[in-house]
Amino acid sequence: MSDHVDGPRSIGDPAADLSDLFAFTSPENADRTVLVANVFPSAGATAVFSNAVNHSLVVRRASVAGMGEAAKFKTGDQEYRFSCRFGVLEPGTDGAAPIQRGTCTLPDGQSLPFVVNDEKGAKTPDGVFRVFAGLRSDPFYLAWLVANLKEFPNLLQHDNVLCIVIEFDTRHVLDPSEGSLFGVIAETSPIPRSGGFIGHDPPRFDWVGRPEQTNMRLNNPALAGTDDLRDLWNQQTPFAIPEELQPLFRKRLVDSLANWDMRDGIADWTPAALAATANVYLDDFLLFDGSKPMSDTSFLEIEKSTLHGRAYQTGGGRTVNANVIDIMLTWMVNNDREFLQGGATGATQPGGNTFPYLAPPNTQLQTVSDTVDVLAPPDQVWALIGAFGGTWHPLIAKIELTGTGIGQLRTIETIDGKQIIERLEAIDNSKRLYRYEMISGIPASDYTGTLDVTPKGPGSSVEWRVQYRANGQPNIIVKTVVTELLKTGLASLRSRFGAPK
Amino acid sequence: MIDAAPAFEIDFAPATAGDIANNNLESARQQAWSRFWQAPERPGLAELILEQEQLAAQFLGDLGALDRLETLVHQLARADAESARTWLIHAQVASMTHRFAEARDYLAQAEALGLLAGDAKRLSLGIDQACATRLDWVLEVRRGLAAESGHLEDLVPLGALLADLGEFDEADRIYHRALREYRGVSPFALAWVCFQLGVLWGELVPEALSSRAALWYRQAIKYLPCYVKARVHLSEIYLHSGDVADAESLLVPVVSTGDPEVSWRLADVLKAMGRPTESEEEMRRARSGFETLLVKYLLAFADHGAEFYSGIGNDSLRAFELAKVNLANRPTLRAFEQAHVTAVGAGESEAASEILIAAEKRWGGTPAFAVSALARGRCHRD
Repeated sequence: MSDHVDGPRSIGDPAADLSDLFAFTSPENADRTVLVANVFPSAGATAVFSNAVNHSLVVRRASVAGMGEAAKFKTGDQEYRFSCRFGVLEPGTDGAAPIQRGTCTLPDGQSLPFVVNDEKGAKTPDGVFRVFAGLRSDPFYLAWLVANLKEFPNLLQHDNVLCIVIEFDTRHVLDPSEGSLFGVIAETSPIPRSGGFIGHDPPRFDWVGRPEQTNMRLNNPALAGTDDLRDLWNQQTPFAIPEELQPLFRKRLVDSLANWDMRDGIADWTPAALAATANVYLDDFLLFDGSKPMSDTSFLEIEKSTLHGRAYQTGGGRTVNANVIDIMLTWMVNNDREFLQGGATGATQPGGNTFPYLAPPNTQLQTVSDTVDVLAPPDQVWALIGAFGGTWHPLIAKIELTGTGIGQLRTIETIDGKQIIERLEAIDNSKRLYRYEMISGIPASDYTGTLDVTPKGPGSSVEWRVQYRANGQPNIIVKTVVTELLKTGLASLRSRFGAPK
Repeated sequence: MIDAAPAFEIDFAPATAGDIANNNLESARQQAWSRFWQAPERPGLAELILEQEQLAAQFLGDLGALDRLETLVHQLARADAESARTWLIHAQVASMTHRFAEARDYLAQAEALGLLAGDAKRLSLGIDQACATRLDWVLEVRRGLAAESGHLEDLVPLGALLADLGEFDEADRIYHRALREYRGVSPFALAWVCFQLGVLWGELVPEALSSRAALWYRQAIKYLPCYVKARVHLSEIYLHSGDVADAESLLVPVVSTGDPEVSWRLADVLKAMGRPTESEEEMRRARSGFETLLVKYLLAFADHGAEFYSGIGNDSLRAFELAKVNLANRPTLRAFEQAHVTAVGAGESEAASEILIAAEKRWGGTPAFAVSALARGRCHRD
């Protein structure tokens, strides 16, 4: 038997990949703090946590150790660590989806068990702690092509993530009377093994403090020819970047920030201010102060005020709905001279005001696609099916068009008396392709169809593809309707034009 | 029973449970496709799908992945025909299905459109290694990449090349290093290395060490119970050692993947168990599966098809024909070996002699040739 080495270029477990960290005061109860860590970017509808990863959120008390160009935040040694681990999949009852359980070890040593995707989460008996873990709509949105700073629709639209939400009584757990400013990081690390060789396992897989420390600042895509420092950064211990590596990371941050400053061709930062900001970024933890108000716009206010040599006014942090990318880009590119609004003003779904604060997962778009090869040349086939009001489909009795060009509507009457209304979204006769959106008539939302004809051998290939979200119906019902529609239509083309042998 | 094997002296790294990883791959793959249909040109998305489909094909025996990748490149070409990444992905998909000449053409097109030299070099390396061309250069670069990154995805291809060159002990050391230094929890990665070690000791060394190979295949399956290829290879060892019930229990759970190799090996096992009717049924299923694949992906499955037809498929001329197709596509030592065996099996003694001469001309000076079946064939001829 022969086998070949053609594996993928990189193999990692996306469930160990941290995407975001949030810290904010609970909208439900101002006495409680909420920390959220997300893993598994673009997780699928049935995603679950890795059972080989320890997920930790670590808080340390912080203090302002310098202002203005000497701005510095120091953290204490004491850690408040929340660590979540997850089990293997357990069979669901009566054919239900498998179940995953987890346990969160709290700073006081208690263990709090929970079931993944249980919206109510789990509470300690005294109500001090509450934990949720499961699939939710990704609250992060990035609506730029970062390499050339071009606006773009949200690149994470309809994405989901696996999230861990930890809520606790701020006074009881963090004792803000000793100082109300804190830094928090999240990390994923191997689960310690009894009997494992010391030094075998990596200290951690990933960690995150402020957003985009790695992808936008340390690995600024516009700094061509530089080494990628992200792996090295991820191997460092949070709150304790070694002194010998600090010059390397500091220089990269300065270079990167200088590049960001010039993205609009205008120098808005002085070299001294850039250097001071790089120093602040080097201490990479998300700052929050529960004694002050936190809002969707307070993100980075603590850092900015301190760099400007004045006392901060807000609790900083990062709320679920904070537009962090645009806030960060505006600061880096034009030093807050003019707000840079990307191509989206919110995530797919906004976060809510009640536990667990992140919106439920987005329903996955379903795709039904079918293709038929026919003997006729593409132009001949397109002449028949390329007309938006054409009545070539055997299941269609009549079509009425309203309007012309893009945006026109077709009202379809099917042979069994149903009515479907669709709107033309795009047409390209040179590519022999049109796209339409269903307005009513099929119990689905976000329903779009694409029909195209391409040359194939001596004839053509016709592809018809429909995407939708099942709307209050079991998907199988909608899928059956759509599949029948496509199959019958394409089969009629094969009968009409003949099929290649 | 197979021979008792030495116990592992390896501290195996923990990994995400195989069923979790499998579930997450499948759901992420579907999610990625859903996003792709909305905006095929979205940066990084087609590349992500390519990797996910590679994993599905390589580990889960999901041969539908190849059809989906054809759809991917077709759609990408329509959406973004003028970008280097489109042609790089074309090249990667062509290479994956062993259409190496096409892959080189696509790669040249990608380079003309501004593909970064590093990306082009990496794929060129893979193609040269698969086709056994410029192997000195490939080895030098592979060693450099492995030394520089130490990443598993650089170490495994180096190990495979060393094994192809007959440097079995060094290949073993490289694979062990890959296991030792892997810093993730993906069971796909770890199972891949274990599988390679199974192939090394079970199939590539001149005198197969079946018990050692079985240990590695078992460990691969422990990491990833759905690893179809590992199950197939381990079942062959069980079958040859008479453990037919164990061989059957390995194969039955993965028949549903539709991979014809599973049906082929199960047919062998059922035959050995004295169940000829069921064996015949599986053999028909395997034949039909191979023919379907060979129509669509001749170059990718020519060697597998040749082996099937020279065995239970019982069509020595078809086996020789497919082996020649494979040899013309990539003249590796193994391709020469297979072509020679099938030529002999088909009664084509003159062709067999010519293949032997050609093999000696191309590979004669290498340590791998010295220990190959061809060298033994040469001795018999002399």
